[in-house]
Amino acid sequence: MQILQSFKNLLHRKHIIAKTWKNQNKRPVVGWNSTYTPEEIISAINALPIRILGSMDTTTTLADAYLPRNACSFARSTFDHALKGDYNYLDGFVTSNSCDNFGKTYDLWRHYTQIPYFHFINTPHTNTPKSSEFLYYELIRFKESLEKHFKTTITNKTLQTAIKTYNENRTFLKQVYNLRRKDPPLLSGVEALEIVLSSMLTTKQAHNKLLKQLLSEVTTRPDPPKPGVRLLITGSIMDTPDLLNITETVGGIAVTDDLCTGTRYFWNLVEANKDPLEAIAKRYINKIPSPFMHDSHRERFNHIKQLIKDYDVEAVIIFLLKFCDTHMFDAPLLTEELKAEGIPVLNIEYEHTRSGIAPIKTRIEAFIEMVKGVP
Amino acid sequence: MTRLQTLEGFYQNHIQPYYQNAHNAERDGKPIAYVASTFPVEILQAMDITPIWPENYASVCAARQVSVRLAEIAERRGYSRDLCSYARTTIGSILTTEKDILPEGGMPKPTFLVASTAACDTHLKWFQVLSHHLKRPLYLLDSPYNITGADAENLEPHYIQQYMSQLEELITFLEKQTNTKLDKNRLRKIIELSDRTSNLWLEIQDYRRTIPAPMGARDAFSAVFFMLCIPATQTAVNFYEKLRDEVKERAKNGIGKIQNERYRLIWDNLPMWFNLKFFNYLNNLGAVTVAETFSHVWTGSLDPSKPLESLAKKYLPNFANCSVERRINLILNLAKDFHANGIILPTNWGCRMMSIGETIVKEVLYEKLGVPSLILNVDSSDWRNYNEAQVKNQIETFIETLNA
Ligand code: SF4
Ligand code: SF4
Repeated sequence: MQILQSFKNLLHRKHIIAKTWKNQNKRPVVGWNSTYTPEEIISAINALPIRILGSMDTTTTLADAYLPRNACSFARSTFDHALKGDYNYLDGFVTSNSCDNFGKTYDLWRHYTQIPYFHFINTPHTNTPKSSEFLYYELIRFKESLEKHFKTTITNKTLQTAIKTYNENRTFLKQVYNLRRKDPPLLSGVEALEIVLSSMLTTKQAHNKLLKQLLSEVTTRPDPPKPGVRLLITGSIMDTPDLLNITETVGGIAVTDDLCTGTRYFWNLVEANKDPLEAIAKRYINKIPSPFMHDSHRERFNHIKQLIKDYDVEAVIIFLLKFCDTHMFDAPLLTEELKAEGIPVLNIEYEHTRSGIAPIKTRIEAFIEMVKGVP
Repeated sequence: MTRLQTLEGFYQNHIQPYYQNAHNAERDGKPIAYVASTFPVEILQAMDITPIWPENYASVCAARQVSVRLAEIAERRGYSRDLCSYARTTIGSILTTEKDILPEGGMPKPTFLVASTAACDTHLKWFQVLSHHLKRPLYLLDSPYNITGADAENLEPHYIQQYMSQLEELITFLEKQTNTKLDKNRLRKIIELSDRTSNLWLEIQDYRRTIPAPMGARDAFSAVFFMLCIPATQTAVNFYEKLRDEVKERAKNGIGKIQNERYRLIWDNLPMWFNLKFFNYLNNLGAVTVAETFSHVWTGSLDPSKPLESLAKKYLPNFANCSVERRINLILNLAKDFHANGIILPTNWGCRMMSIGETIVKEVLYEKLGVPSLILNVDSSDWRNYNEAQVKNQIETFIETLNA
């Protein structure tokens, strides 16, 4: 299907597309890396927020000079791209307090790249009225900092517009995910991931248009994915389709996920509120939590269990990036709970490199065979 | 190489009784809390809650050479070998059925657990796991990250406020758990005592500026126990007074940890608890550790008339809770004040907080002071992540460059 190619393109030509956008619109491009970054506020200054992504196919020799071996290799890969100059076009970089690897590599980004604007959002780790209030204050600070640096003003109206566009995108993405409930699903895991990732690489307005077209055409697609063992994918960030590619060539099909580049990115909407910043703060505090949030495992595991029901999931794969502490701490308990409910689970720890993912294939294949064998 | 007399029999005289008392508290049904470092323990002490530090217990297990055996138990339950070795060791200590291998009879079972977000993601996740297995509640103090690395005087007022509101929430939690009320007068006394301990400890540290330095890392890493675990106690004050007197006397009489002091080092972060003899090895090379960041980050002056505010000001600037600037400034000042000529920056396999950013510290320190640093890949409690031959090789090469 032609439209699917558009999403793939956005992903594969992300730097060129961002640079072109910047030249055409004469507006800033701001990179972000944590799902707890309130993109709505960046978008309200008519900037293009893009997610910083890594890649599996390059070596990371530049970053290796600064990062110890025991740092998360996704953080390593993105920092390496920055050192190579791939992100030189960025006008700003925003991160949030959602992972030690992010927090500490933020220091490296500040010291070793030339990006003119940096901002750190002090995301709380608890979900309480107090922490919403605290985040609200942080968002005011963020808004003011953007206004000051980019010499612009953010009004409630521009924020409301951004919220509307973002919510629309989230709603469309949920509809796209619904197409995967069918058997076989109307979209493969790789395709779905490319769709979600691409939403973070262009303006939401542009992406919404593509999604509308996709939704109208996909039900009659002539080339639906092959059926396979229906999988839910969870774990650390998945910023490239490589792992799903492997999974889907050995008889599995990813039908849903609990990923920060999947449902955890778009599941929750910003609710209507007189004060848009307050509404945004609430959205990020209340969203399906990442594991760095206090007591998040309950809510996250419930989200996973609900998805398992809704998407007729047969088995779960937990892809853990080495040194991704918060997910590694959650994995044993999640595995235990799912197995207790009769759901087969495969845990895979891997390095974010081509050679790091090569040995995985046979393990996934054996797992899929095992699941198929279960009557 | 002379060991300080005050530290003779430290383990038997102080660590064992501490765990014994905690077991007694459990037997008598008194409240016990597991607590993670950078947590404002003073509040617990003010409510007569016995603090147990899994971090300290892990270091005890490492020193007694059982940490890896315990870590393996956690690993068999699915906890990755790349996680913090403190966490794996203590998770293993709780899950193991071979209770007789546990030093000091293991950690007593807590009434509840408390941690803060100040140091690392590990604390919150590790304590969540402990809380799950022990079926005891966990309170998490949501400490804002100190983004600019501001010191106590320059903190953002909003962060102080947030921290104080968290302390109030904590007090409510503790009052509910223990069925008692926090006595404000007692809190003031505890704050005063903790302040006294901190000042004494810093006074002891200051004598290490003397050449030759009267105290080395091995003694410091033992003695810091009070500062870290039970700061607001008379025992701590008494012990540090005695230690201060001894160190002062030595400084006055020119008695050094080693007599022929050739290299004065600063040691960042944690030691290899399973191999504290490593510092003797350094001494034999003519090198003495004159300051550890670990001996400085737990201190902080406290004002009894403003207990909560001063706790915020003590804990928010802890370098674990800060951007790299704070760590750089701390080491920079230590290097200057303690006349150091080399800096050891150990990584810790399971610890992102300590490991990432050392290259910046190294570069800035060299730029600003001309003092070289050595990054060592080691681990605090898991000797499988420690290659002695390689580490010694690196140290010896480094020491040679200090000669040049
Ligand atoms: S993959 Fe895990 S460790 Fe790496 S940056 Fe993301 S959350 Fe942090
Ligand atoms: S060693 Fe590092 S990861 Fe482990 S508890 Fe301490 S700060 Fe956290």
